Amino acid sequence: MAGGSVLETTDDKRGVAYTTGSGFLRISELVGGFALLFGRIAARLLTFRFDREQTFMNLYKMGVKSIPIVAVTALFTGAIMVIQAAPLVQRYQAYGLLGWGAGFGTLREIGPLLTALMISGRVGANNAAELGTMSVTEQIDAMRTLAIDPVAYLVAPRFVAIVITLFCSTLVADFLALFGAAYSAGPLLGVDPQVFYNGLTAGLLNFGDVAHGLVKSVAFGAMIALSSCFFGLNVQGGAPGVGRAVNATVVVSAASIFVIDYFVSALGT
Amino acid sequence: MAANEPLSSRAEDLAPPPKEPGFVHQLGAFAIEAFGQARDLYSVFVRTLYYSVYGRREKGMFAQQVFEQGNQSVFFLTVFMGFFGMILVFQAGVQALRVVPDLTLLGATFLQLLVRDLAASIGALMLATRVGAGIAAEIGSMVVTEQVDALRMCAADPIEYLVVPRFKAGIVATTAVIIWSAGVAFVSGMLTAWVYFGVNPRTFANLGMVGHGDLIVGLTKCLAYGAAIPIVSAQSGLSTFGGSEGVGSATTRAVVNSSLAVIILNFFISAAGLILFPGATQ
Repeated sequence: MAGGSVLETTDDKRGVAYTTGSGFLRISELVGGFALLFGRIAARLLTFRFDREQTFMNLYKMGVKSIPIVAVTALFTGAIMVIQAAPLVQRYQAYGLLGWGAGFGTLREIGPLLTALMISGRVGANNAAELGTMSVTEQIDAMRTLAIDPVAYLVAPRFVAIVITLFCSTLVADFLALFGAAYSAGPLLGVDPQVFYNGLTAGLLNFGDVAHGLVKSVAFGAMIALSSCFFGLNVQGGAPGVGRAVNATVVVSAASIFVIDYFVSALGT
Repeated sequence: MAANEPLSSRAEDLAPPPKEPGFVHQLGAFAIEAFGQARDLYSVFVRTLYYSVYGRREKGMFAQQVFEQGNQSVFFLTVFMGFFGMILVFQAGVQALRVVPDLTLLGATFLQLLVRDLAASIGALMLATRVGAGIAAEIGSMVVTEQVDALRMCAADPIEYLVVPRFKAGIVATTAVIIWSAGVAFVSGMLTAWVYFGVNPRTFANLGMVGHGDLIVGLTKCLAYGAAIPIVSAQSGLSTFGGSEGVGSATTRAVVNSSLAVIILNFFISAAGLILFPGATQ
């Protein structure tokens, strides 16, 4: 990491050219680092050289333990989608279309996006803190001296676990958001849940919409995993460095989620 | 030894084996923890409000915090809300084309949705990750390095000295940044509609559907999120324990809890808006 790390803050007193140049260098360093890490992970995954036990342990820690937060987010999101669709529905008296409107937005966009943001906050940050602490206390170097490949033992299982977690969480969130939407449509708009479900299944929504959201969730999961592992492994400067790594992870994951969202949306239709 | 053996085995019999906590146990532990957190949050909130009115004012702290929460987030939010505007208009256009071939109302609907909900909520979710993580990491590392205890020793309440400036700055900075990012999202949405669907920018920039109710609901959301994010994150930071790992988990908690706070507040403010301003939707 010669030439300054991504985690270092730039000196604001310098000129515009310096700031722009160092910003550009930092971004290219990040992209390169992500690509290298992804290459290493892919090499382990394709040859099945990753630790099974670690994968299952991480799946439990990341996936099962996130269910409550995903559920709360999804239920409220569904209700919010109904509230936001309410004016349009009331204007055109199109109560039958409410299910379609809320379902389209939830399945294609809001469900995967909000789930990814919540998982990035909970799992991504935690993962970076864990790997960062291990890296600061030289546990990763200790693994290397024991001839244990840290990528195969630590990083690849986490990558797999985060991708699977986000995929499954998105499925759960889609279901719960639609459930929340259906049962908040009654008290808020006087729409019977049955009418809502009819609108949902009337044929305007197809499997492609669900698949669109799920493809997104896989891409988001890969980005969250890559950024949290990258920042965790590249912590510098002891304990305060871990805090900075966690912060950088959260910011970069959120950033890449939005950027990827645009490209998947644009390419997927 | 032979005499001791039955005793030791009896002691083992008496000591219950470490059991996996049952469902009721877990539920109860969760409820107690959630209740404790809520009480803690309430206490921080009330004390912050008290000191915002009666407390001493630290010179320069407010401006510095507005700079940190506001100005430093401008670039971040500009990029995301730009992308978000593009995504939203793109998806809305695809959705609308399935039902009606006419996209003249796309801009008006988009603007209304942006003003009433999405600019504030999505912007605040992004701010919750950036600002919330920053506040929790800063206060958390001060707690771990006992700087907060040192403040108490100097008879300075950490709430008054640390949380109040962040709280006030949060309200101002969040509102300002969100208004800016709504503009960015609108412009990027307008360009997307023009490029992909051939909607004329003049047709798109239609404020006809934005009523005063939408504006009030949107601004209320800005204020509520701006107040909630610093309070929730500061509470997570202040309740840090256990060294540098604790700072990591406090940061995580701050991001998760402030995102949850944004979503839950969004639900209640939106529902209140729907009930209070039904006329604005006509």
